[in-house]
Amino acid sequence: MMAGTALSIENLMYQYPGAHGPSVRVGSLVVGEGEHVVLTGSSGSGKSTILNLVSGLMDPTRGRVLVHGTDIHALKGAKRDRFRGRTIGMVFQTHNLLSGFSAMDNVLAALMFSAQPRREHDAHARELLERLGIERPGARVEALSIGQQQRVAVARAVACRPALVLADEPTAALDPEHARGAVEMLEGACRAVGAALVCVTHDLSLVDRFDRHRELSELSNEAGVS
Amino acid sequence: MALRDWDIVTRSVKARMFSSVTTIVTVAIALALVTLLVSMKSSARDAFSRGTGNAQMLISRDPSALTSVLNSLFYTDVPTNPIPWSDYEALSGSYPFAFAEPTAMGDSYKGHYVVGVRQTYFVNFFPIAGQPFGLDEGRVFSDDFELVLGSEAQRMTGLRIGDEISIMHGAPRSKGAHAHGEFVYEVVGVLEPTGSAHDRAMFSSLESAWVLHAFDRLLDEGVTLDRPMTRLDLEAQDKQITGVVASLGARTAALNQILARIGRDPNWTVAQPADTVRKLFSIVGSVDQILIAMGIAVLLSSGVSIMVALYNSMEQRRRQIAILRVLGASRWRVFNLVLTESALIGLVGGALGVVFGIVGGRVVSGVLEARLGLVVEPALPLPGYLGMILVTIVLSMMAGIIPACVAYRTSVVRALRPMG
Repeated sequence: MMAGTALSIENLMYQYPGAHGPSVRVGSLVVGEGEHVVLTGSSGSGKSTILNLVSGLMDPTRGRVLVHGTDIHALKGAKRDRFRGRTIGMVFQTHNLLSGFSAMDNVLAALMFSAQPRREHDAHARELLERLGIERPGARVEALSIGQQQRVAVARAVACRPALVLADEPTAALDPEHARGAVEMLEGACRAVGAALVCVTHDLSLVDRFDRHRELSELSNEAGVS
Repeated sequence: MALRDWDIVTRSVKARMFSSVTTIVTVAIALALVTLLVSMKSSARDAFSRGTGNAQMLISRDPSALTSVLNSLFYTDVPTNPIPWSDYEALSGSYPFAFAEPTAMGDSYKGHYVVGVRQTYFVNFFPIAGQPFGLDEGRVFSDDFELVLGSEAQRMTGLRIGDEISIMHGAPRSKGAHAHGEFVYEVVGVLEPTGSAHDRAMFSSLESAWVLHAFDRLLDEGVTLDRPMTRLDLEAQDKQITGVVASLGARTAALNQILARIGRDPNWTVAQPADTVRKLFSIVGSVDQILIAMGIAVLLSSGVSIMVALYNSMEQRRRQIAILRVLGASRWRVFNLVLTESALIGLVGGALGVVFGIVGGRVVSGVLEARLGLVVEPALPLPGYLGMILVTIVLSMMAGIIPACVAYRTSVVRALRPMG
């Protein structure tokens, strides 16, 4: 692994149980610290699966994923969960906020699993939400607009100052104008904490905003025949 | 303020308020039932034992020893077979009794028995072992148609010293009971509370009871007196009693022999009050155990309802659990969150149950005191109550294991798939 690498994928392959061929294949992908990379691919090309493999929510059939120098799949059980909580932030298409909780609580929930001292949680969460333009941090997330909910989701993803943020189709439900604004906000939040960003999307209009663009089909071809 | 696991648990309970409250109330009712039964069990036995006092035997013509004790000491019903006074005199002269106090039940006032006794009854018979009757106000009757009230009877009727009343000839609530306005009774004394059924009774002289009976007899015979009837008008047939409260005093060695001798006479029913109450409780004890078993069954079923409530909520909470897992919560941590939630339901339900049990106990105690004159104070020592709550928490946690396993096994990837 090279120094200053946020993510390194080596010969990654995943095959869904019962599938005939590999569902996901990535020969090599290296994302530097603070680098923002967009991965594009058509529906069903395995974009979300790659993120699940990188975040350690799924185990690969073969290959290695190093996040900030650590082989995430070599970690077991609670160690992997703790590592994910402290090193990786995740943003989802549907935000996946904790319903019934306030915007503030959603960010605090992420900080629960961080290494940050508890006494700093409140101020840190408040400052983050303010920076991202959340006007009512005490409001339940259901009471917020979609745009505000997205900001809360981004705030939560970067709350632990992760080395890597994974964004899964963060603009899928937005019109082009709002999509650009959302990506801008996501990128800004990641840059503010120095996090690398890996964003998967099918929206090619967004690729020019990122430091680097890779097609999933290219990554798959580089992996060669399995 | 930083968020803690506890905050997630309490928010989760609040988010499903209706289901949580319903489950908590179910648990509380079940535990209240168990608490009430357990706490009543020992205190009820004490209350019954108190009423037997220093009576070593009860002699009557009731059909059984139990009926005799219930009628003569707990005033449950009027003895149906009267005892002629001459038989009493023969009986009391035949054995070395320390005392043999005759009682005549058959009259009442507003639901309270008016018991005919001699003045010596208040001296010889102790309603609580070692504790004689005491006067709260006034004096013991010294003449006919004077009344001494038990403390509960006084409280319920509101009668005061000097009040004059007419009583009914007949048992409380009996069909044949009828008022005797011809005879005016004066309240002359109020007894101190004893915590026994005697508190519910009123006492007058034996002769007062006999005069009422004689008056009815003369009416039946078509005889009318042109003056107020007194004890001087009594005939031998009017002098009847319903029971004898007796003791050999310190001569207890002869007790069994005398009990056997009286018991052999078919004219008499003889009971040892303390022994009879013990036997009664050995019967009631089985009922107690059945009721407590039922309470435990209800408690277990409320445990099942906790499990069902939590299990059903898991469907809605898979996403929440998956989000927590993404944020860094381990499987065991979410397992513990669900288990803590069930423990919280158990804690609140248990605490409420104990409170309901105590309040219920007071209500039952009030009813028993008002209706039977028994002072039953259902109470457990503090560790007993804490133990009840602890058992409820453990049961609730056991009920939470299956839902917690569901949380443990939740697939994050599947739960976070976009819906639609």
